[in-house]
Amino acid sequence: MDQIMVFQMMVSGAFMGLVYALVAYGFQLTYATGKSINFGQGELVMVSAFICLSLTNLGLPYGIMVLLGLLCGALLGLFVERSAVRLALEQKSEGWILLTIILGLLFFSVSENIWGRDDRPFPTPISSDAFQVFGISVTPVEISVAIGVFFIMGLIELFKRQTLLGKAFEAVSTDRDAAELMGISANRTVMLSYAISGVVAAMAGVLISPITTVGPTMASALVLKAFSVAVVAGLDSGFGVVAVGIFLGILESLTSYYIGSGWREVPGLTLLILALALRPTGIFGKAVIRKV
Amino acid sequence: MLKRLVFVLGAELLVAVLLAVVPMAVDNSFMLGLLTLLAIYGILLIGLDITVGYLGQVNLAQAAFLGIGAYTAGIVVSRFGFTLIPALFAATAVGCLFGRLLAFPALRLEGPQFALSTLSFMALTTTVLNELEFLTKGAEGLQVPRPPIFGFMLETKGFYWLCLIFFILVWIAMKNLLTSQWGRAFEALRDSPIATDAMGIGAHRHKAIAFTIGSGLGSLAGGLYAFSMQFLQPQVFVYELMVILLLGVVLGGRKSLWGVFVGSTIIVLLPNLLSNLLLFEIFSGIGFLFALVAGIRGMVSRTTKPFQAAAPIIAMGLLVTLGLFTSNIEDWRKAIFALMLFAVMVGLPEGLMGFASRYLAKLFRIDPLPFPEQAEISDVLIRQETDGRPLLVLQDLKKYFGGVKAIDGITISVNSGEIHGLIGPNGSGKSTVVNVISGLYAPTSGEILFHGKILVKGSLLKVAQLGISRTFQNLQIFSELPVIDNVMVAMKSIYQTSLPFVLLGLGQKSIRRAQSESLAILDMVGLRDEARTIAKDLPYGAQRLLEIARALARRPDLLILDEPAAGLSQPDVKKLLKIIRKINELGITIILIEHHMEVVSEMCHIVTVLDYGKVIAQGKPDEIKRNPAVIEAYLGFASEPEKKGTISRDAIPELS
Amino acid sequence: MKIQLKSIAVLMLAGAAAFSACGGGKSDVIKVAITGPFTGGSAPMGASMRDGAKLAIAEINAAGGIEINGKKLKIEAIERDDEAKNERGAIICQEFVAMKDLSGVIGTVNTGVVLAGDKYLQEKGITKIITPAAGSQSMTQWLNKGDKKGPVDLSIFRFAAYDDIQAAMVIEEAINRKLTRVAFFYDSTNYGKSGFDDMVNQNKKQGDKLQVAASEKFNIGDKDMTAQLLRAKSAGAQAILIWGIGPELAAIANGMAKINLRVPLIGGWPLSMSNFVDNAGKNGDGTIMPQTFIEEPITPKAKAFIEAYHKAYNVKRIPSPVSAAQGYDAVYIFAAAVSQAQSTDTKKIKLALEDLKKPVHGVITTWLKPYTKWDPNNVASHEAFTREQVVMGMVKDGRIIFANDADRQRLIKNASAVKGKDSK
Repeated sequence: MDQIMVFQMMVSGAFMGLVYALVAYGFQLTYATGKSINFGQGELVMVSAFICLSLTNLGLPYGIMVLLGLLCGALLGLFVERSAVRLALEQKSEGWILLTIILGLLFFSVSENIWGRDDRPFPTPISSDAFQVFGISVTPVEISVAIGVFFIMGLIELFKRQTLLGKAFEAVSTDRDAAELMGISANRTVMLSYAISGVVAAMAGVLISPITTVGPTMASALVLKAFSVAVVAGLDSGFGVVAVGIFLGILESLTSYYIGSGWREVPGLTLLILALALRPTGIFGKAVIRKV
Repeated sequence: MLKRLVFVLGAELLVAVLLAVVPMAVDNSFMLGLLTLLAIYGILLIGLDITVGYLGQVNLAQAAFLGIGAYTAGIVVSRFGFTLIPALFAATAVGCLFGRLLAFPALRLEGPQFALSTLSFMALTTTVLNELEFLTKGAEGLQVPRPPIFGFMLETKGFYWLCLIFFILVWIAMKNLLTSQWGRAFEALRDSPIATDAMGIGAHRHKAIAFTIGSGLGSLAGGLYAFSMQFLQPQVFVYELMVILLLGVVLGGRKSLWGVFVGSTIIVLLPNLLSNLLLFEIFSGIGFLFALVAGIRGMVSRTTKPFQAAAPIIAMGLLVTLGLFTSNIEDWRKAIFALMLFAVMVGLPEGLMGFASRYLAKLFRIDPLPFPEQAEISDVLIRQETDGRPLLVLQDLKKYFGGVKAIDGITISVNSGEIHGLIGPNGSGKSTVVNVISGLYAPTSGEILFHGKILVKGSLLKVAQLGISRTFQNLQIFSELPVIDNVMVAMKSIYQTSLPFVLLGLGQKSIRRAQSESLAILDMVGLRDEARTIAKDLPYGAQRLLEIARALARRPDLLILDEPAAGLSQPDVKKLLKIIRKINELGITIILIEHHMEVVSEMCHIVTVLDYGKVIAQGKPDEIKRNPAVIEAYLGFASEPEKKGTISRDAIPELS
Repeated sequence: MKIQLKSIAVLMLAGAAAFSACGGGKSDVIKVAITGPFTGGSAPMGASMRDGAKLAIAEINAAGGIEINGKKLKIEAIERDDEAKNERGAIICQEFVAMKDLSGVIGTVNTGVVLAGDKYLQEKGITKIITPAAGSQSMTQWLNKGDKKGPVDLSIFRFAAYDDIQAAMVIEEAINRKLTRVAFFYDSTNYGKSGFDDMVNQNKKQGDKLQVAASEKFNIGDKDMTAQLLRAKSAGAQAILIWGIGPELAAIANGMAKINLRVPLIGGWPLSMSNFVDNAGKNGDGTIMPQTFIEEPITPKAKAFIEAYHKAYNVKRIPSPVSAAQGYDAVYIFAAAVSQAQSTDTKKIKLALEDLKKPVHGVITTWLKPYTKWDPNNVASHEAFTREQVVMGMVKDGRIIFANDADRQRLIKNASAVKGKDSK
């Protein structure tokens, strides 16, 4: 009995971990090109989820709702890039950190007022009735999360490797100056990365909403863990986030089972600080040489 | 001078007296509550400004330190019966301790990583306060009685005065600290941590100290907060509070005590402002007009980018519209914070006080403090005796980056008193040699001897403190500091005043001495008249000279100049050569990295040529110019030396 | 060094803002402050309470106001959002104290805010009716405890079914269902923790009939309750008795369905809030909680109130009917005290409240002498609710209905009885 409980906790944790990995993947995309991340990414997840909820309430079919939601995510990403990141990056200042936090706050307040402060259920055609696999309860919604995460990450990786635009993306990530000399606009590429990162955030919103419900604070805890995953794996680790995400998800579940649910956040946060102290480039990241 | 005294000290005194007499004049508990909160937030924000303003890092942990201080004070009072002053002392000490602990990982980090580590610290603190119920009573909340001070029980008024006294004391101590060499070191650290180490100041140590002081102040404020509220819950010290604190610092103005004062006034009053629609409309209207005028002026004079001019107008415009269309603006509180912060961040990066102080200084024509008399250069850089014996010896030095052999076994001897040229084509390893000597990189193998002793490896700071000073090929000036401060800060480890003395304001003498000596050095490089200019506003050539002046302020035995002539115009190069010669005449040994052949042949006593990380030639400039291996390395083919015996300058790649 | 003189201007601004916030009107109105969280997580309760109270004020004013010494005075509501933050609560109370002509304060949702702020009101004797904060500590903090004496005179009253009553009902319900082993769940707020303590105490009082299978805590914002529920399940809990305030309650109901833990969910009154009912969906059906008001037009008074609320705020369902009804009735009780005191002076109103002569016809019930003189040994002296005004509600198809039809019939009967007795 007890063993099954532990496995149950690990499985639930792993599914959550995949969502952390997806949001962390969004951080990687923008960090690669612009060396910046959106500290208000959680609010993008939340706003996209609310927009999807509104679209569903208008009576749109699920598939179209998802597509429109992802499009909104992309637009929001572009908005963040234009208003918070670009100027600060041009001035080579750290101002973008504060500006993205500020935009997050703005998004939060606006959605609080448009959609209300309550958490709301998110209708989905996928059933949330659990079925048993070897005594472990799994819901179809959880499985849809896993499929969705791998689908969108695979799609973006494919895009980066197979298309011209994607290769420009890679080029700017590797060496911004050299890419500019080759006629690739670094600015546009950063914009692109923010748009894709927005899509990723929206996808995370669509996937997780049926489980967590939709509300202004739905992503505030999520985003903290995504930070941990991104940093522990390394901000340029690619699929490394999946491994770390699942690991962290399981660790968190086991912590809340054995120690107490109040301590759930602790392993992730401690790992984050430790990783920053011991290996700022992350487990899967590449070491950098200080240059003068 | 008198005017300055009247206005600067006058304004401080006036405000202090006003704040002190308010409770006597008006008997209003609400006002008193706000003022108490103002003093507490003032202390808290001064602490935050050290990291956000002076260190230039986004610190998200200050709310946690408020909590740590508050709970420490609460626990020692309710459990161990501490009285007020010891409790505040305990709170500050615990805050400093945690600040120091957090500084360990945060030390090495910059930008987003620093922000993330402080963010996690805050989340951790909230969790721990929530979960350690046996100590903190967790979510239930901790009732804190207000303890007596020297046997007296303080009522609301008395407690306000106590907070005010603490605020004033902290203000004075911080003013002393931030105008001292320590404050300059903090700012230097923000602009270039590498140069801070290379100038013998110590980036890590100062970052840790700054962060510790900031955290300690946060916890002191926390102690006062605990006795003011008398009821603590962990959920108070969270992200939302942190955003409001940042709002205070950014809106008021970073790097300014007055800015902090304005900032805390705003965050204390803001909720009241929002509960009155008319008042809100007036203020947002003023803000909008201000943004409009500033934006249009900026656009017309082309001093601001279109985005920078338009964004604040849009943000403030949204605020005004918000006020017109919503009946309950309190619901939009966070959006209002966000829009205000956004407008200020983009349009007024220096904050309200930063902007106002410039304007006020102009309005009242207040001159800056005069400099002390300039010292004699011969007293500053005392001529050193040179004996021509080896000063610096590199023995079979190697540095590999992965598979790349940047330096591959070089042996060079630099003799005391000489100008030793180090040349070579791009990628030959010149800069790596400099970086290994100066301690930026640790060598893969080999030894460096300095004064005949083995030199420490891989520590910029320790190498600098042993008497090796350097400049940087890619400029590493402290760009936000005035020119003279760039030089003064390098003297920090020479005139040491310990921190407690500085806080008490006892460091003035050494500051004046450093100032007069810095003027002498600036005079020598021809920057005396630019002493007050902000370094980043200097022309490029002058910035290079400033780097040399700064390196000289360390009074080095050995000066390494890394491509000082790169990007300089012909007249500037002439000036530079004169300066280098003057320096050498003072007995300072120089290693000169260059690829301007003229410079090298004119200046150097001896030249070492590197290629592919190996020494390919060494000798007098004349010999080197004729050396076929050198010519091949530079031009890619062996050729007869030209008649004049110089390599055409144009043939040498200019890229650094 | 910088020269900055603007501080003077700022100070003036500070003064101006502070004074304008205090306001300096004349006393031709009755000033009543309404405070609570109108933004943030507890906003549904705070805003419903405010709106209910404002509805009552509007009705009173529409009838011309309250007659004092032959002059009809209207009620002016001063709204303050405490954001569910203790610090704001403390500052707001200090502001109230500074308002010279304030007659009283109604509101507060969060027990922590009560604990941070009410001491300022009590110090200056400002009358306050707490509603709907139900945490026991809000009032028990004023009781005699060992050698620590409570105040002999208290200006703080409560108008809510306090947790001790509710906890007693929850335990009773579990015992009536012949359960023997239960799990206690509570959220990590002051409210959750003290509710948990009340449940444990009540279990002891009612003869320790329930074995505690597990005591589990959860945090505000938690979405995944699998760990706690699995522990409860493996310990063999036959019911989950829960004390919490927010949407996390729905996560519990959904988590129970997921791990196939099909046992009754019984707990404090926030289980009736829309964020539980909506988010738990069908998983929430059958959940039981004590209620002071159920949004069902069983009496004419209730019908009128519900319709007026729906119309005034353009909703089809009251976000928190309990809060709204309590806010509404609190205003009527306060108004009765003003009328009896024939004064806007807060101290006289307090005395009148402790000895209300006339019955007050509220939407919850008709209130006869809700309060008596404060007794530092008996918290009930300043508590309006007793067991009999509280009924058990149950979630069914997205609404709260009476769990026991007997309660429903009893209320209908009471209402008509009072009406018959009181009709002129």
